[in-house]
Amino acid sequence: MVTPMTSQGTQLTVEQVGYLTAGPGRAAETALARLLDAGLVRVSREGLVSAVHLSNCGAITPLEARTLSRARTGARFDQVVRSTAFSTEMKALHQDLLDRRLLQRPRHRNPAWGFSLTLAIALFLLGFVAAEFFLAVPIALLFALWQRGRRAVTRQGRQALLHVSATDRVHNVAVYGFCGKVNRRPVADEFGLPQSVVKMLPLKKHRKRQSSSDGGGSGCSSCGSGCGTSSCSSGSSCSSGSGCSSGSSCGGGCGGGGGD
Amino acid sequence: MAGITDLGVGIGWRSEIDLTVERLPGVDFVEVVAENLHIGRLPESVTLLLERGVPVLPHAVSLSLGGADEVDLNRVEHLGGIAEAVGAPMVSDHVCFVRAGGLDSGHLMPVPRTKDALDVLVANVELAQRNLPVPLALENVAALLEWPGGELTEGQFLAELVERTDCWLLVDVANLYANARNIGTDPERFLDEIPLERLAYVHVAGGVEHGGVYHDTHAHAVLPEVLGVLDELCSRVKPPGVLLERDDNYPSDTEIATELAAIRAVVDKHRG
Amino acid sequence: MIDDNDSPAARERLAAAQAELLNALLANGPAPAGFDEQRLDVERRALLSKRRGIVRMLGPAVADELGERFRPLFDAYAVAHPRRAGSRAREDAAAFAEWCRAAGELPVKRKARWKFWQSN
Repeated sequence: MVTPMTSQGTQLTVEQVGYLTAGPGRAAETALARLLDAGLVRVSREGLVSAVHLSNCGAITPLEARTLSRARTGARFDQVVRSTAFSTEMKALHQDLLDRRLLQRPRHRNPAWGFSLTLAIALFLLGFVAAEFFLAVPIALLFALWQRGRRAVTRQGRQALLHVSATDRVHNVAVYGFCGKVNRRPVADEFGLPQSVVKMLPLKKHRKRQSSSDGGGSGCSSCGSGCGTSSCSSGSSCSSGSGCSSGSSCGGGCGGGGGD
Repeated sequence: MAGITDLGVGIGWRSEIDLTVERLPGVDFVEVVAENLHIGRLPESVTLLLERGVPVLPHAVSLSLGGADEVDLNRVEHLGGIAEAVGAPMVSDHVCFVRAGGLDSGHLMPVPRTKDALDVLVANVELAQRNLPVPLALENVAALLEWPGGELTEGQFLAELVERTDCWLLVDVANLYANARNIGTDPERFLDEIPLERLAYVHVAGGVEHGGVYHDTHAHAVLPEVLGVLDELCSRVKPPGVLLERDDNYPSDTEIATELAAIRAVVDKHRG
Repeated sequence: MIDDNDSPAARERLAAAQAELLNALLANGPAPAGFDEQRLDVERRALLSKRRGIVRMLGPAVADELGERFRPLFDAYAVAHPRRAGSRAREDAAAFAEWCRAAGELPVKRKARWKFWQSN
């Protein structure tokens, strides 16, 4: 599931597309989407992600393996995405993109950069009055450039993304996220996921909903800042009665496979 | 018993597979574990199934009716409350004990098959029945251990229980198979001895052989031998319902559908 | 209200017998007379495995952090602290985590989070 080769020879996996589009949260969503697509995990109405019991293992990438192992113990949809987004496997993916110069260390944009630029221009004009001011112009310009910051995705990275076409539902997740829409149709619907489940994913406050009518370019990380969800253990509630407090019945079950 | 004549083929509703249960074709009824539900806050999935007219039967695992302590009426009340909330025609639990000596086994332990134990069980069952709004069915459990000094066979024990309390029976054919493998009991003799006209419905479940012992895990495929015991039962009586129980390691939707179909095939084989 | 045949003596005898069995299965008590010792062992391990699985499911973070140590640690905890009648599985999971912390097996402080970049 790689993108076509760009002129610089860049090929992206669908997880990398997700990462470059909207950060580690999106890459985590993509890994989960691939597992859902392959029938390796299922999601319940309450958002509990569980591994489907199959004879083969099925995870193709390290991110998928991490997601699958989290699903095996069962976790809520947003927790699974979050746990993958913060994983060492994700760090490795990030590093790989850095090494390939598709990503760079970002610098936060200082909103005062415009002021600095104006200052540089003013200094330039003042230079006609007194030549000393010209000396200050390059300093002010460089300072303005510094303040302008730089995005995480490099030009090469942005170019590679241009070649991405959303060909299947997993790609749709990479490009638009589970919360996004393709041709006005929610991406979640393609997976049969209730909206209540995908809405568990926290979005950055200023995020515009990604839809295919937009450029579909870089957005915001879907597992955004301050995912303050309190961790709740397993989705199934187990309430009154102490006799059996696992999510499922412990009636009759003899300790899962042999007691060893 | 009203509403119990033909439940059909069903599956245990579990929150992990709630969407699967909703979407599976051929699910005639479901069973829920009573202890996992809140009376005022039923899961959306269960409400959906109720709206569709799918019978929902509560199944308890914690009454410990075979225990020496008098049955906890709070637990009975909860079970009754769930029954009313889902409009169930009956409820069920097991012939077992869970707690003793201040300890909790977390499991359904077999009771001694003695007159003493039967007397205590009968008293507990009668007390529970007096506090339940619907009839009670009791399920046979799988036993890895046998109590010394047993006076009755399992079939005789249950037959006497029914005789004295007028309760219903939930026959778990996987447990019959497990006991045949592990303690050498005879499923056919069991089926001979119990009053089949008091059969409420049947459980089928999977398990695995490990270390020379069969474990009733509810987390593996149903063995053909277990379907064989179901077949034996169906040749003697038409079961009002048969339910597939799975508690863990849920396979793909297709596999679950296949297991249900296999059960249905056995049941249908004996139709007139 | 009670069935005629149900004498308090019968309940007491049953209580003692069942308590003895659970004590053997859950708290390393002596094997009661008349039981197959091998089967007692199988049952003991099955019950432990079931309890362990439930605690793992209810507290996956603790299990993950302990990694391979989870199983031996849990087994040690379980025998020393059999579940009390009327307790809830969540309490069991929480008590195990506490026990680990007290034994120094679990760090009390959380590990530092990796800050990931946010796009502009």
